[in-house]
Order: sequence, then C-alpha cells, then structure tokens
Amino acid sequence: MIRLGLRLAIAGGREAFVRLITIAAAVALGVGLVLATLAAMNAVHSLNHRYAWMNTGLAQATSADSVHADPLWWAPRQDYFDAQSIARIDLAATGPDSPMPPGLSRLPGPGEYFVSPKLHDLLAATPAEQLGDRYPGHEVGIIGDSALPSPTSLVIIIGHDPAEAAKLPEARQVSSIFGTSPEDCASCLVGYRAAGFDLILGVVAGALLFPVLIFIGTATRLTAARREQRYAAMRLIGATSGQISKMAVVEAAVAAVIGTFAGFAVFLLVRQPLAAIPFTGDPFYPEDMTLSVANVLWVALGVPVAALAVAWLSLRRVRVSPLGVTRRVTPKPPRAYRLIPLLAGLAWLYYLNGHRPRTSIEQVAVFLPGFLVVMSGLVIAGPWFTMVGSRLLARRAQTPSTLIAARRLSDNPQGGFRAVSGLVLALFVTSVAVGVIGTITSDHGSRTSRFDDGYVRHMFWAGDRYAGPTGTPAVTAQIEGVPGVTDVFFLRANPNFASEVPDPAAGPYVMACSDLARHPELGSCPAGAAVVAPTDFAVIGGGPAPVWPAVPVTPSDFEQLPIASIQVANDGSTGAVERTRTLLEAAYPDVRPPYSEKDFTTDSTKMFAGWVQLANVVILASLPIAGCSLAASVAGGLSDRKRPFSLLRLTGVSLRTLRRVVLLESVMPLLVVAAVAIVMGLVSAQLFLRAQMETTLVPPGWEYYVMVAAGLVLSLAVIAGTLPLLTRMTGPEVARNE
Amino acid sequence: MTALIEAREVALSFGETPALRGASFRAEAGEIVAVMGPSGSGKSTLLHCLAGILVPDSGEVKFAGDRIDQMSETRRSALRRDRFGFVFQFGQLVPELTAQENVALPLLLGGVRRTAAMSRAQEWFERLDLSGMEGRRSGELSGGQAQRVALARALVAQPQVLFADEPTGALDSLTGEHVMDLLVGSAKEQGTTVVLVTHEARVAAYADREIIVRDGRVAVPEGLAS
Amino acid sequence: MTVPLTLLGLLEREPSHGYELKRDYDAYFGRGRPLPFGQVYATLGRLARDGKVVISDVGKGDGPDRKRYIITEVGATEVDAWLTEPVEPEPHLQTILFSKVVLALMLGRPAEEYLDTQRRAHLQRMRELTEVRRTGGLVDALLADHSLFHLEADLRWIDLTAARLDSLAKEVRK
Repeated sequence: MIRLGLRLAIAGGREAFVRLITIAAAVALGVGLVLATLAAMNAVHSLNHRYAWMNTGLAQATSADSVHADPLWWAPRQDYFDAQSIARIDLAATGPDSPMPPGLSRLPGPGEYFVSPKLHDLLAATPAEQLGDRYPGHEVGIIGDSALPSPTSLVIIIGHDPAEAAKLPEARQVSSIFGTSPEDCASCLVGYRAAGFDLILGVVAGALLFPVLIFIGTATRLTAARREQRYAAMRLIGATSGQISKMAVVEAAVAAVIGTFAGFAVFLLVRQPLAAIPFTGDPFYPEDMTLSVANVLWVALGVPVAALAVAWLSLRRVRVSPLGVTRRVTPKPPRAYRLIPLLAGLAWLYYLNGHRPRTSIEQVAVFLPGFLVVMSGLVIAGPWFTMVGSRLLARRAQTPSTLIAARRLSDNPQGGFRAVSGLVLALFVTSVAVGVIGTITSDHGSRTSRFDDGYVRHMFWAGDRYAGPTGTPAVTAQIEGVPGVTDVFFLRANPNFASEVPDPAAGPYVMACSDLARHPELGSCPAGAAVVAPTDFAVIGGGPAPVWPAVPVTPSDFEQLPIASIQVANDGSTGAVERTRTLLEAAYPDVRPPYSEKDFTTDSTKMFAGWVQLANVVILASLPIAGCSLAASVAGGLSDRKRPFSLLRLTGVSLRTLRRVVLLESVMPLLVVAAVAIVMGLVSAQLFLRAQMETTLVPPGWEYYVMVAAGLVLSLAVIAGTLPLLTRMTGPEVARNE
Repeated sequence: MTALIEAREVALSFGETPALRGASFRAEAGEIVAVMGPSGSGKSTLLHCLAGILVPDSGEVKFAGDRIDQMSETRRSALRRDRFGFVFQFGQLVPELTAQENVALPLLLGGVRRTAAMSRAQEWFERLDLSGMEGRRSGELSGGQAQRVALARALVAQPQVLFADEPTGALDSLTGEHVMDLLVGSAKEQGTTVVLVTHEARVAAYADREIIVRDGRVAVPEGLAS
Repeated sequence: MTVPLTLLGLLEREPSHGYELKRDYDAYFGRGRPLPFGQVYATLGRLARDGKVVISDVGKGDGPDRKRYIITEVGATEVDAWLTEPVEPEPHLQTILFSKVVLALMLGRPAEEYLDTQRRAHLQRMRELTEVRRTGGLVDALLADHSLFHLEADLRWIDLTAARLDSLAKEVRK
C-alpha cells in the first residue's frame, strides 16, 4: 500500500505532480515562515542580551556579575547626531582590576576612545566640527560585535582620568559589568521587554501562517474530485479505508517532506533580508537570526505531521463511501450569528476606553487579545458578508456573468471567502498598523509646531536647580558664527522658583522680553514687562501663542541669573544643528548633551517605522500566498463546473463571458470583504488610539491606498493567470469525451 | 425547397482517427431529422460540424446558404448563440443558477433586460409542465425535469435549428418520451428545424425522417423514407 | 409461407437434392423444428408445377433422392424480389428476417442493404405509431406502445445483426 501510494504520488501523472508540487510549495512557505519567526524571536533575545552591559550602573547588579577589586568610573549618556542616537560611555579605571565592558580588548586610557564600526565610519565621513570635536582624545580601536545590539548601533566608549570622570554627569563607580538580559531585569533602562516582542511576533507569524494553512488546505483539495474518484474506485474493489488512508497519507507525506526541506532553504534565503528589517528600531545581526536545535526539531517534525493531519481530514469523505463523489448539495447558508465574535472584539476595544491598565505589559495583554478576537471574528464573519454581498448583487444582476458569479457565491460563500481570507487578514493588519502608526506620527508632527527642528536646547540642570554660568558665555559668539544659526538666547533660572512649592505663575525659568520679541511664535510679553516666566514651549500646536506672566526682574538682574538653558535658533540643517551641538558639548562636557526636538521625534518614530515595515512584510508576504490559494480555489471551482461551462461554450457563450464569471466570482468576495476588513481595521485602530493614546485616527495617506490597490491588482493578476486554464478546460473536446 | 442546413462530403479526423469520411446531410426549414447510427459511427461529430462547433477538414457546411466552415470562431459562436439551440444528454445546467435563471440565460446573453428575460423564461415553465420548478437548482431537479429545463433554455431564444444530442440518453423510456413529446411539439409549434442525434429507434421515430451514419458515412441515402 | 422462398433461395446457391435442401434448411433455419421430408417434397413439387424449379435426373436408380432441383429464371426473380422487398413491419418477424439475411449472405447479396431497407420500413411504421400515440387517446396510445416496443426489439435485432454480418457470412459460407 505504501509503495503504491508512493508510486501514485510521484508518478501519478501530471495532475498528481502539480498537486504534489503545490502542496510542497505551501508547506515550504509555512515552514519558512515559522522558521523565520522563531529566528526573529531568537534574534530579539540576542539583541536584547547585547544591551545588557549598557545597564551597568543603572540596574541593580546581580550576583551573576563578577565583582572586581578596583571600581570603574562609569558615566553613560545619550548623544545624537542628525537625529540618530549615540550611546556614549565615559569611563575611568581606578586600578588594574577594573571591570571591562564587552567588545573591548582593553579599557581606553585617558584621551583614548573605542567606537563601534558604524560610528567609526560616521566620524570619518563627517567634519570634525560637527561630530569628532565632541569627543576628547583619539580613536584607539573598534568595539566588538558582542557589545553592539545591532550592526548600525552608534556606540563610543571614552577613557578618562578618574578625577576628571568623577565630575561627569551621572558618573558613578561600578565594580561589575551588568550581564543580565533586560528582559529578565525589572530595573533595566536600556533594552526591551522581550515578552511583548514574542507576543507581537507570534501575532505576525499567525497572520502569515493563517493564509499558508488555507493554501495548504486548498492545495490538498485541488483536483480532489478526480482523486476521490480514484480512491473511491479502489474502495469499490475492496480496498479497506485504512489502506486508502495510508495511501493518501503517504502521498501527503512525500509532499510534506519535500516542502519541509524546501522550507529550510526558503528560510536560509530570507534570513539575510529579514535581518535587515529594523523592526525593533534597528536591524539584526544576520548571525543572531539563528535557530535552536529544539526549534529545528519541532518544525521538522511538527509541520509534516500537521500536513498529514490535513490530508487525512480532507479525505474523510472517501473513507466513508466507496460510491465516490456524492451529488452536489448546497451548503447551509451562514447565519448572522457569525458576526458575534467580530462585534464582541470591537465592543471589547470600545470598553477599554477609560479602562486601560497602567503598565505596558498589561496593556499588551488586553489590547492584543482584543485585536485577535476582531481578526478571528473577521474570518468567521467573512462568509456571511460574502453571502450578503452576493445576494445583493444577484438581485441587481443584469448580465449573465454577474448573475452566475453572484449565485455561485451565495451558494457557497464559505468557499468564496476561503479563497480571499488570507488577503483580508493582511488588509486588516495593515489597516490597523497604518492607522495607528500614521496617527501617532502625525500627532508628533503637530505637537512641536512652536519649537521645531530649528532649535537646539542645552539644559543646565544640576539635580535640584539650574546651575549654568551667568552673563553671556564665550561660546555664544562661536555659535553665532555657525552658518545657519539665526539667534542665540538664554532662559535663566527663575529666582522666585522653588521646586518644593510649584507655582505656575513662577515657572522654573525666566526670559528677557527683548529676546522673546524676536520669536513671536514662542509667545509674547504683557505690555511694559521686561522679563517673563514661560512654562513650556513644547505645547501641542494649533493654539495662539500665549502671553507669558511678567516677573519682577530687571534686565540687568536678568543677566546675572544662572543660565537654565541655551536656546539656539537655526535653519534646521544638519550642519548648523550638529556644529552647534558639538560646540556646546565641547564647552560644557560635564552636563547632559544638548538636544533638538527632532532627536526625540525620530527616536520614537523609528520604532513605529519598524512596525510599519513589519506590517508591509506581512501584507507583501500574505499577498502572494493568498493569491496562490485564490488561484488554486479558482482552478478548483473551474474543474467543478467543467461540463456546464464547456457546454455553455458549445452553445455559443463567448469565452469572454465565462472569463468574466470567473473573475467576478473571485473579485466580488475580495472587494466586499476587503472593504469590511479595511473598515474594521480603521475602526479598531480608532478604538485603540482613543483608549491608549486619547487621540483620534488620522485618515491614512495615499501610500496606504496605493498599497491596498497594489495588493488587489496583484490578486487580480493571479486570478487572471488562471484564465488560460478556462480556455483549455472548456474546449469542445471536454464536452465530447464525457 | 432549399435546405436550411446542409453538409456536403464532410470529412474530419481526430489525429489519426477518421471520424467522418465524406458524410452528407440536409434538413429543410421546420424539418425534424434523426441521425442514427451505432456508437463511434460519427453521428455526434456530424452534429458538431453542422452546428459549427467543429470545423471539417474537407467538405462544406452551409446554414441558410452561408458557409459555416469558413466562418471565424467568433462568428460561429455568435451563430450558435443567436440561431441555434442545444440539448445534450446531461449536465448542461449551471448548478448555481435556479431553473428559471438557467432558462433566461440565453436571453440575458443576448442583452435582454433581466426582468423581461425572466418573464419570457417563465412562459416556458408552463409550457413544459415545469410550473413550480422555477426556483429549484439543478441538484434539486429530477433527470427529466432537468432535461425539460435544458429544452426550455434551448428554445427560449427561438432558434432556427435545435441540435439535440441523445436528449433522452440518461432517462427512462417514459420520462424520455415526455421530453421528446415536448421537444417535438414545441419545435413544430415554432417551426424549428431539429437535428436529433440518437441511437434509439423510438426516439428517432419522433423525427420526420432519419439518416443512418456508419463508419463516418451516411449509410442510408436520404429521401427514401417519408 | 417462408419455406418455399427459403428453399428457392437455397437452390439459387446451387442445384441440390431434396435431402440436401432439408439438411441445410434444418441447419440454418429449422432451429429445433426440422422440416419433414414430406413437406420438402410437397413444396418442391409445387414449385416445379409453378415453373420456378426444374428437375434433372442425374443420379442412378429411382426414388426421390435421385432428383436434383435447379432454380429457373422465374424462381430466381421471385427470390430476388422477396429479398429486396422489406417485410411488412409487424411484430415477430424474426424468422422471416433471419431467413432473408442468411440467404442473402449465402447468395453473396448485399445483406446490409436489405437490413437498411428493413430498418427504414420499421422506422416508418414506428413513426406512424408514434403519431398515433401522440395524437390518439390513451387506449390507442397503449396499443401503439405495445407495437412500438416490439418493433423496437426487431430494430435492435436488425442493428445487432447488421453489426455482426461479417461473422455471420463466414459462418454460413463455410
């Protein structure tokens, strides 16, 4: 039996071969996807682990870290260049047995620094006055990969004299390098909580796997009628159902084994490009995209077993009846109760408005199931939508092609929907992602209208008060000389400000009205005032520029107050911003580095951009897969109706009409349910934004529509690809050789 | 009288196998002609040539004086759609459509508005003893009912020629006779020419005359009977 | 009524003795009902009287077995006419049809054409009966049906025989 099954699978004619290859391809895609997801999860863990040492001094040292006799002065800070974050560690050894961070061959001495490869390139490519001058000393080496979360990480480790290092902001002595991955450490400040990523990657894998499973199912059912006839014939001459199952399973097993091997090949192919997707904000090291032995074993055994189960299930009809394919029966129409999960999911997301949990882990735990319920609700309700849409269409149909297509769909909406369900899920995921991310990005864009990219701010906060220099520092003239800089002015510490007694009228800093007069976008002074106390310039934009309260400080007294913040207005060019920053950093090495508003916006949008990219991967990957199952099911539908169609063609119905039937009956559910998916996606996004961000959905831009349209066009192309089949299948010879 | 549809010395081979080796046929307007012969004799092939489904290798096929064998596939399709009706042995109904929609299909294809097409289809249900079957699907019809629906579909657009290929082949004799009664009755009423391929004498007896195809030739010269 | 014509037909093949005619008749047409000698000689006598056969004495001694019968022109014409003419399409024609086919084959005549002619006659009758059935009352229709089914059975037999003419020809000419 097994040998017969093998023979049928491998040498069972062209049809069997096509089916074998299709199933194998589906399995390969599934295996590739699962492997890629597992590898990405592993990569997140590896990446996170490489962040561990940066938490030194920030997180509580654990007993796992080896303690050294001579402590190390350690001062981490975040610097920026052109809105890219640079991790800067200033350190100084106090003796020969000081701890050493990973990736270094030795600790840098005073006046020496180690840089990451990317920063090395950046330093070489950028004029020193924009970047290099910030760092005292000279480069003595490259930091090894073990200390870098990502190949694009910008890291610098600068050596100092212990006395010099002690004066740096946030400097502390550490006797060990932190070695625990941030995902296992509650007090870590740098790195990710991996649980969240695992969950999200799991969802993404699910969103991708779902179409693959549908594809495997469709491929198994491909030419099922013909195969069922064959098995039924064998049953009739006395083959037991056990023998038939064995044969079917052998056939599927061959496909599954081939597919699994191919899947590993697919994974090796996509590993490199996948690693480059910065979905944590930075790309992975390709070598971090690895699989554990357990991963490999699970996939290599699990996927073929799952494929066998599918094959076994898809043949259960034959196992019952030796009389072969039964008469066509109209399946029960889907009922409206299929809408319940979808509505329940939306209700849950609606309810979360005002009931949002505090911590982000808990938020993931409530929002993600909500989205999952909406997604599965969409799949469950899809046939119902298809049926409603096709019934409407059937009622209004004027042309025979529309009528046939609409009737076929309302006859078997499950089948019609199954073909497009993968695509629909992809559209939903994309709509949610684009809606949420687009809104957040656009909110960021509108938030800083008063204090935009053209400013560099340098704060002098000493822990409990502003303690900058008084008067006009020497660096002012240098900054004013930088091309692109238009103005330099100061916010000074408000003498009436007491941090224990917050009084909005007496803000933390004061500003001269003569300066403010040059910047009407930041507000204005009441008549006759010389000095005012602004609170925060970075208020959400749109409103009128405020009138700040006057403060009883004379202009001459003002000059003698310590500077709270140096504000540099410029044209926003990289050269102007970075030269200013470099000058300020060099002038004040012992305070936190200056920043521009763009640094923060970019930093937070970078991660969102990663998610957008991931959503793009989802839709781009599910599109061809969904397209394949679409093609398989269109072909299946054709062979179902080979005879009536070919007879219609004999009676003079043109091929064009038949083509239109085939196109319509796949395009109809596609469009109806795609519309539903998009609406549901945007509604879910809106509900999420309202509950989580207390903001309102910004309609997605044209790129989104282009992408959706591209997806639909691609599906149409796939369907169109099956049309030559129609010509062949309905030729006169089909009707002749009945 | 001139022949409405005529074939002269038609020959056609499928690959190496000759199906027709010089068959001739003619039918006048309103005439019902049975084409008989054993299986594999080429009678279906002759019908397909007459209907413009197949193009003969040699010989000529004429409909109302026009050479069908010289027409393009598009023109032949149009001819089949507009002038000819077809009834086959089984399986010609589109399974998703109701019986009435199946009957209305040729009218819809001809550009008739749906409501008009449906009401014209409706008339045929009464005529063919099918009242009450309008909303059924092909799976819910008995063999005889399905054949009558197919007959209604073939005749609804008032074709000039009805080609029937073993129309009762899948039916028992009583049901088959019912279908044939209706087929012949309707054809006579409308003056439709019928080319009826059958191997059953009792079906052929409904025709005005018969020809016999044997080994790709018309064995009995026409004109002897009647 | 077919016996005289059948014997004439057998004689057209070759001049024969009476006992040869009986043997061949029994072999091909008798089928369990052998022709009595008396009937053979009585029939031959009648045929001779009508001038359809002549008797030639070629053998020795006397007695009926000495006589050989030879078909005349008149007899041959009658056989030919009988073979060509279709039998009136009525049920239960098997014996006549069969005799005609076998004789035609024996005589090397176009049996197929005879069958075709017969088929046409049958079909014509069936057409008439069908018309009766379609237009007449139920009783007429039922009676017509009965005839139709029998005619159909004959026609099927004609078709089958037509398909097996080659083998049959071999059988009767051996």
